[in-house]
Amino acid sequence: MLSHATTRDWLIPYADGMLASDERRPIDGHLAGCAACAAELREVRELNLLLVTLPPAPPVAFAPFWLKLQATLPQRRTIKLPTFARYRKLGLAFAVAASAALAAASAALAAPSALPDNPLYPVKQLEESLRVAVTPSSGQLPLKLYLAGERLREAQAMAYDHKPRLAATSLRAFGVIVNDASAALKHADPRAASEDLKRLRADLDAVERANVTRNDDDADIKQVVAADLDEIDRIEQPEAVTPDPTLIIGTQATPQPTPQPTPRPTPRPEPSDDEHHR
Amino acid sequence: MAQPEVPSPEGDAEERRLIDRSASGDQEAFRQLVLRYHRLVINVAFRALGELSLAEDVAQDVFIKVHKALPTYRHDRPFKHWLHRVAANAVTDALRRRRPVVSLDGMEQPPASGVPDPQDVAARHDLQRAVRHAIANLPPHYRDTIALQAFGELSYDEIARALDIPLGTVMSRLNGAKRLLRERLGDLVRSSDDEVEANTA
Repeated sequence: MLSHATTRDWLIPYADGMLASDERRPIDGHLAGCAACAAELREVRELNLLLVTLPPAPPVAFAPFWLKLQATLPQRRTIKLPTFARYRKLGLAFAVAASAALAAASAALAAPSALPDNPLYPVKQLEESLRVAVTPSSGQLPLKLYLAGERLREAQAMAYDHKPRLAATSLRAFGVIVNDASAALKHADPRAASEDLKRLRADLDAVERANVTRNDDDADIKQVVAADLDEIDRIEQPEAVTPDPTLIIGTQATPQPTPQPTPRPTPRPEPSDDEHHR
Repeated sequence: MAQPEVPSPEGDAEERRLIDRSASGDQEAFRQLVLRYHRLVINVAFRALGELSLAEDVAQDVFIKVHKALPTYRHDRPFKHWLHRVAANAVTDALRRRRPVVSLDGMEQPPASGVPDPQDVAARHDLQRAVRHAIANLPPHYRDTIALQAFGELSYDEIARALDIPLGTVMSRLNGAKRLLRERLGDLVRSSDDEVEANTA
């Protein structure tokens, strides 16, 4: 027979239908003989009823919704191109100064989102190198990880646009950045580093998929992606001193190649913050 | 677990294409993305706020945030769950900013079915308003979790994936959130229960 307290702990997942039949049975048994818990279950169900009966919205026309939204979206490319044209006329010195100002302001202007086939791309590269130069060492790793992700975003977009040569160039640049960041990654918090590498690996996979789905299946892209994945593998290889294994081995740190079935028995609720509330 | 996890349609290549193109500034791709998901976001906002014009405004904010954040979106979790998380944050913020509504008339849409008794409708709207207010005043980790269940209608599994937390943590947070809600709404929940019993007697 379940205790009063245990039953109460399980009433909410019970009422939400989250328990398997063998988990429900002991609770059913307790509820049959305990008026207080049965009354509490009624309250839980009444609250659930209130939560699930919050009504959905009446139909809304899409066109006016979109037009209003569109009016507030930033028009990144069209606004910024004339500015760049003016810089070109004024010469390289002004371009450098303007880029420095851009970098210093960290504004979300045109260049940061430019792709390799965009005439603004050199400005973006210049701006990035300035950011690397002015960023203190504590901020270097996050910045490099950001730039690595940026190269993959470009590579993916270029692969989609049937521009395999530009995609491969971005992928090579990615490899250089990751190699550059490898020492810092090895000394970073293993769990965070593992998450970062997992994300980069997923992005590399996305580039590879873009390459395949656009029917190019470019061999050069494949080769560079493979080399980049090898680079990530090298970083993940433990060195002579292995960090505390509990930090590495875990569902968060080790990517699972296939989805795992829901573990049995049901995960227990963790001790709640207001454990002593009642 | 009574509800096993259903694999998400992560292989939606068309959606990936729309997301990637939107992230690189393609407005037509973003329009198609908004077309797919505007109903979902407006529903979440309406359930949370109970007022259509406000819900539409918050939904606009959600898509502006999404547009801005798309370049940082990674395909390692379903877009829909990511969107739910952005929407839940925006609606709970809006809910907290909103002053408690004094007027009870004409703010919410009546239920679609039948011809309800005006008194029942008013009582139910009062309850819904009280529930929203109580959710808005929960501690943040409880609020964010239960918002995904109550406003987003997500399952435990989907909440776990949207927040990137273990299922056990979802259970524990929902447990805590509902305990607090019942304490704070205690009389309302019980009086509503009594009313139901009185009406059926």
